This record gives sequence, structure tokens and C-alpha cells, in this order.
Amino acid sequence: MSSPSGSGESVYESDFIPSINRWGRITSLLAVAFSFGPALVLLAVFEIIPPTGAIVGGFVSVVTTFGIIWFIEPISYYPVLGIPGTYMAFLSGNISNLRLPCAGAAQESADVEAGTPRRSIISTIAIAGSIFVNIAILTIGALALVPVFEALPEFVRNALESYLVPAIFGAIFAQFGRDYPKVAAVGFAIALVMTVLMDLGFFAFLPGIPIYAVIVVSVFGTIYAAKLMWQRDMIETSS
Amino acid sequence: MGLSDEQLKTGLKTGVISAVGPAIAVLAAMLALIAVVGGPVAWMRLSVIGSVAFELPAAELGVSQLGFGFGEDGITETAFATAVWTMTLGGIGWLVVAAFGTPHMEKARRKIVGGRETLLPIVTAGAMLGAFAYFVSGEVTAGAPETGSVAVGGLVMLSLLKIADENDVQWIREWALGTSMAVGLVVGMGVHMVAGGGW
Repeated sequence: MSSPSGSGESVYESDFIPSINRWGRITSLLAVAFSFGPALVLLAVFEIIPPTGAIVGGFVSVVTTFGIIWFIEPISYYPVLGIPGTYMAFLSGNISNLRLPCAGAAQESADVEAGTPRRSIISTIAIAGSIFVNIAILTIGALALVPVFEALPEFVRNALESYLVPAIFGAIFAQFGRDYPKVAAVGFAIALVMTVLMDLGFFAFLPGIPIYAVIVVSVFGTIYAAKLMWQRDMIETSS
Repeated sequence: MGLSDEQLKTGLKTGVISAVGPAIAVLAAMLALIAVVGGPVAWMRLSVIGSVAFELPAAELGVSQLGFGFGEDGITETAFATAVWTMTLGGIGWLVVAAFGTPHMEKARRKIVGGRETLLPIVTAGAMLGAFAYFVSGEVTAGAPETGSVAVGGLVMLSLLKIADENDVQWIREWALGTSMAVGLVVGMGVHMVAGGGW
């Protein structure tokens, strides 16, 4: 740690980062393989196989809602996370709500300059620490929460199944919409009209359950509206 | 490379301490995921790979492929399995982009942003707001209790973030989702008791 920063930085570029890129790719792809575990257990042990059409439909819906985010998030976050931190964060999840604040706070308190290898080392260490904390708390919590949930009376469980999710959706929508209220209003109007039209059977001519039509129009319509507003200086971008 | 032991220790300590609040907040939101997909899957998706903001919508998209909604009677094992497949397939997108894209991030970033530094956050906000506008609309058209739950969840979030900003209190930000969720739930149950389900 006491070597002059010059030689340390060249070792960082010439040895450390190539090795991180190799191991980062291997671990990420292993995670892809292992993430199929629960689905394969359902298939092999419980012999529950959803219809192919439902799996394809689910995949298409998730690609249209989150496909853009797959690319935007790594690009937006990596200046803070650094290269090793990016692999670790996308493997461990909970990025915007957990890894990013932890990395940012650690860089702030260790007082490292922006855009240096030192910064990404601190981010790496902080993310590693946060992973242990997150897994420990969730594991203990899950073991405690599941029996509590199962012991609840039927009507409370039904209420949890029905009304927790809308509250979370409303809260997350408000959180993102806070900085861009006009975009939020336009997006909500588009999505509501599309949903009502679908419920009334206007998209019955489309194959399958036409959720994907509603999603495509909602997501891309809102992005387009946001871009138009940006071009016309209707959005303050100081935040 | 010019980092003192002191800086490394401070970095680790801050990372660990800053993770406690958000991790407990994740745990609170995990209750919603336990309610819809059960403990083991909820635990796995939130310990690694996922986040509540993705897993919950993905599970919803999965069950809706068979025409179900959360909390409906007669929801089948097959619908549950479709939710698991949808969460899995959707979650690998980030991993694949990280696996192959990370070495090229700097180049990609310069190319995309290319002098339009302020456009990237706008596109991000548009994509997230469009997606969550869809999920919110699904709840609002489902009935009065869901609408009450959505509206109150959103309002509590806005108020808490406003208070947190004005007084610069970090822990309020961390607890904002958990609190909005709890208040929204109570309001949803209240509306259901007074007015019944549906519209």
C-alpha cells in the first residue's frame, strides 16, 4: 500500500483490471446459470411446467418493460461503482437502493478523488461489505418473516397479497415521478387509457393476452413524451 | 497505490454501516414478495441479483400471462411457476449486459451521451415512469381499495421524501418505501371494509 501511486496505478490497469474483467464475466455467467435453480426445481421436483406461450409472453413483457433498463443502469452507475464494483453490484442486485448509496458514502468518507482507481477500490470494498450485511439481514429476516406470515389469519394474508403491492407500485412511481412530474402525468395518462382499452376488449384482435401492447405503448410513449419535453425545455434537468 | 490502511478501513466500515438501513428496508418490502411468491424465492431473488422494484412487477407480469392478478382466488401453481420463470429470465438481462458490457462501459457512455449529457437521465426516467405507470394503471382499474392503496402509497412517499430533503435526514429516505407500503396497505384494507372490493 505504500508504493508510489504511479506504479500502483499502472499495475491496476495492466494486471488488476484484466483479471477482474475475466473473473467478472465468469461469475456473472455462473450467476445466470444458477439463477435458473428455482425454476428448474419446480420443473424437476414438482413437475410444474407453465405453458411455453406463458413463459414466452412473460419474457416478452419483461423485455419491453425492463429491457432498456438492462443497458441504462450499468452505463449510468458505473462511474460511481467502478469496473470491479459494477460486476459485484449487478451480481448482488439492489443497486440503486443499496449498493450505490454504500459506494458513494464510502468514497465520501475515505476522501478519494473522482475518476481515480483509488475511488473504484474503495467502492469495491464498500460493496463487498454491503453484500455481507444484506445477505445476513435478509436470511435472518426471511426465516423470521415466513412463519409470521403463515400464522396470520386468512383475511390479513389476503389483504397483504392484495394491497401491499399497489402501495409499493404507487410509492415507486411517486419516487421516480418527483423529479419529473410532467413526464409522470403524461405516462400515467397513456398507461391508464391503454389499460382501460384493453379491459374493454379493444385489443382482442391481437394474439394472446395483449398486455405487451399496453406495455410497449406505455414505456415507449412515455420515453418519447419525455424526449419531446426535454427538446422543448419543458423539463428542468438540474436535479 | 496511495491508499492508506486508514482509508481502506473507513471505506469498509462506511459500506457496512450504510448497508444496514437499506437492507432492513429491503426486508420490509420482502414481505410483499413473500406474500405473492413465497419465502424461498423471495429470499433468493432479493439476496442476489434482484430488487423489489423489478421482482414484484416481474412476478405480476408472470401471473398475468395466465389471466391472474395477485391476491385473486384460484391462482394456480402454474401461474406461480410462470412468475418464477419471468423473474429468472428478466433478471439475467442485467447479468449478461454486465458480463459482456462492463469492459466497454466508458466507450459506450461517451457514444450514447455524446454532448447530450442531460438526455440520459431523461430517457431513464421516461422508461421507469412508463413501466410503473403501466403497473399503477393495472391496480387503479382493479378497484377502489387498490386505487386507495396506490394513491396513499404515492402520497406518503412524496411527503416523506420532502421532509427528508428539507431537513437532510438520510434514515427517513431509507424508511420511505417501508412506511408508504404499510400505510397504503392499511388504507387499502380500510377501503375494502367500507366499500368492498372492485369498482
